Amino acid sequence: MKQICSDVLSKIDDLQTRYIAVIDAKDMEGWLSTFCQVAEASYVYTTAENLRANHAMALVMDDNYQRLQDRVTIVNKVWPGTYADYATRHFVQRTACRDMGAGKYEVESNFMVMTTPEETGRSTLFATGVYFDQVVVDKDQALFLSKKVVTDSSVVERFMAYPL
Amino acid sequence: MTNHAEIIATEKQDAKGANPPIIWPQKANLLPKEIFVRPDVFEEELARIFYGKEWLMIAHEAEIPNIGDFKTTQVGRVPLLITRDNDGEINVYYNACSHRGVQLETATSGNKLRFRCPYHSWLFNAKGDLIGCPNKPGDFPSDFDKSNYPLDRPRMAIVHGLILVTFNPETPPIEEYLEGYIDKIAQVFGGDGNLRLLGAQKVVFHANWKTFHDNDTYHAGLLHTAFQMLNWSGGSGHQTANARGHRSYVGEVTLPEEVNRLKDPSLIEFKGEASECSSASVRLFPISGMTRHLNTIGIRFANPISVDETEVHYTYFGRAEDDEEMIRHRVRQASNLLGPCGMVSMEDAAVFHRLHTAGTTPGNAVFLKGVTDDHGIPEEFQQSDEAANLPGWEHYRQTMGYPKEQS
Ligand code: FES
Ligand SMILES: [Fe+2]
Repeated sequence: MKQICSDVLSKIDDLQTRYIAVIDAKDMEGWLSTFCQVAEASYVYTTAENLRANHAMALVMDDNYQRLQDRVTIVNKVWPGTYADYATRHFVQRTACRDMGAGKYEVESNFMVMTTPEETGRSTLFATGVYFDQVVVDKDQALFLSKKVVTDSSVVERFMAYPL
Repeated sequence: MTNHAEIIATEKQDAKGANPPIIWPQKANLLPKEIFVRPDVFEEELARIFYGKEWLMIAHEAEIPNIGDFKTTQVGRVPLLITRDNDGEINVYYNACSHRGVQLETATSGNKLRFRCPYHSWLFNAKGDLIGCPNKPGDFPSDFDKSNYPLDRPRMAIVHGLILVTFNPETPPIEEYLEGYIDKIAQVFGGDGNLRLLGAQKVVFHANWKTFHDNDTYHAGLLHTAFQMLNWSGGSGHQTANARGHRSYVGEVTLPEEVNRLKDPSLIEFKGEASECSSASVRLFPISGMTRHLNTIGIRFANPISVDETEVHYTYFGRAEDDEEMIRHRVRQASNLLGPCGMVSMEDAAVFHRLHTAGTTPGNAVFLKGVTDDHGIPEEFQQSDEAANLPGWEHYRQTMGYPKEQS
């Protein structure tokens, strides 16, 4: 397999770390800015169980750029004040990267998210899983063309307000 | 999460360790909050309700459409195995080997026509017959006969594809139990039970099962900002509720002419005749239900895990006659609108949790919207009355044998 140069890998890793930093900061505009501004940009969150069973249903299906923009509206404008807030802490580790040509890469990373609900102040595990990403790398930076979050658990704990 | 409930239960126990009786308030619109948090109440509920004279929804045929498909689930703490055998028939078994009782299947779903118990290698077919059990002459009693050891079955019934079970021989027949609701179930499914499985969103609420089931229509315009923001109001609608605790809702939905707050309006688009654009739901006592919102068709299979945990599988379907475009639309709409991350339902989960956390405070929960006579059980309801839950609460009180406070 073709060796991927360290410059590309470091741009991809920068993107991943920027991604987890903005979501832990609940910066939804920052989250949006990690995606390519193209119509087919997408963010999908599903479970390993749905994937195994070949079921299209997901927990979140922002499968075009407008839906990504709507996610920002929903989190910033629709939901505030209705739920007990919680903090998240993401950890990410790249496990595979494939060169698809024309500046496109398929990247797989393990992730883990801890949650700290404001009312208990106690940190617990929220989710683990794999990010299946399509990343576009140009001379300046890397951006997600698509991000598919697949959790190991088939059952969501309580509810989820912020993207994983 | 058991700590709150355990504390209150322990404090209320007298010196002998017995639990104090639940005395129900005299007014029909009050609920004693302690029923939501006491572990002893939960144990009694399993015995009297979940293993009592009720039918429980466990699956829809469309979840196991092909020969050999199976699903496992639980009612209370009882594991069940649902199969489609090689004649295409649906069967429900207790998920336990008929020899020493090992749990037979552990996957939540799959496809097989033979189930092998790992312990002593007994082999069952999808019809529940014991078809193999390794033994040498003289191993087993001389009168041993395989045909005496099929998998054990609870009573089952199928209504518009919906599979229900009961563990009690005295539960009334399904037609009587669901009287007046069988057509309403078909209405929610879009005419009949010819559905096609799209997948599920599963969630565990840190809340008592009754908190989930009591979720009413009254809060939609208040809790869910999306309804105000999108200028999305229900037209006329009405609710029914009966003395068995079943209830239904049908309402027109008038979509905003212009969706200017969402960039992708397909989230709340209705495909079909505008006159068919309605919401419909049926909730069956004690815990599960089904809803149709816009183009989503969903069944909510819920199960009580403990006094303070309830697992719900929001399972979504298309219609058998749907084309691929319609299926795609239903999947996209259900994924983002409903469930534990849905635009108009995430807040429900958050509220269940807060209701439960505060359930350990003294006193009663109060029902007001639509309550006209605070000593009678209402029979007529407006579209968004919380009073429609009261007949179900009276059925609960009677089933649990809780006396009313004397004046
Ligand atoms: S317990 Fe299943 S074969 Fe013995
Ligand atoms: Fe709601």
